[in-house]
Amino acid sequence: MTTLDDLMKLPGAMAAFEFRGGGELLEHRIAYPDRINQSILDLLAHMCAANLSIATMQARGWEKMTGMEGFYPIQEFTLIGFDWSVVVSGLLREQHKQAGKFSLPPLMGVVMANEKADYEAAFAILERKEPVQGA
Amino acid sequence: MSIVTDLLAKPGVVAAGEYAYRGDRFSYRGALSEEHARKASIMCRATTMSVNMEASMLEALEPLSGLPPPRGWLVHGPDYSVCVIANVFCLIDNSKGSINDLVGFMRQALAHVPSDMI
Repeated sequence: MTTLDDLMKLPGAMAAFEFRGGGELLEHRIAYPDRINQSILDLLAHMCAANLSIATMQARGWEKMTGMEGFYPIQEFTLIGFDWSVVVSGLLREQHKQAGKFSLPPLMGVVMANEKADYEAAFAILERKEPVQGA
Repeated sequence: MSIVTDLLAKPGVVAAGEYAYRGDRFSYRGALSEEHARKASIMCRATTMSVNMEASMLEALEPLSGLPPPRGWLVHGPDYSVCVIANVFCLIDNSKGSINDLVGFMRQALAHVPSDMI
């Protein structure tokens, strides 16, 4: 069972996807092809990669500027839309970076219907620690 | 009571505020200095404008996608999170507050706010 399959079990899950740091869509699952298609996921992955990078820059700057810690590294970025929300995480990549790995795993995200969305459950799956090979 | 006052009464909320979409004013309450609150409101406003632009691009590509108009966004850090719905922002201590409860409250309380960002 992959993380994408686990994400698809979340309440209201409409799609789950993996993407590169540059936003290219990789593997994905779609529960409702009439509402979310591959083309939407592709642009969404690019949007989320950009927002995750900007949020990381802002968190780093904010911590330096204010002395308040606990914002960086960004664990998830969530965009709350009109009908659905998308939650993305780069935490697994961060774990690999900290372990000194050169090859980094993809980022992951899930699209959930707003009325049923359990953001904390999505965070828990996306933050699940996986063993870093050779660490 | 204002939404900012309501938010400050929620568990884990460290500070909360509102900003004008045109960027010329903000107000806040909570454990932030005036200057830090001003910076926070600028960053929150910039990200809100950015996600609205992105959503309109998605709408142009795929009409009726269900994303636009975006209601807000959320950044989850190891100890603190920032939640923004419409033009209202709040900082939350993750160990003391519930993101689900907070997003649910803000979405409901701000559901009437027009999405034209004026």
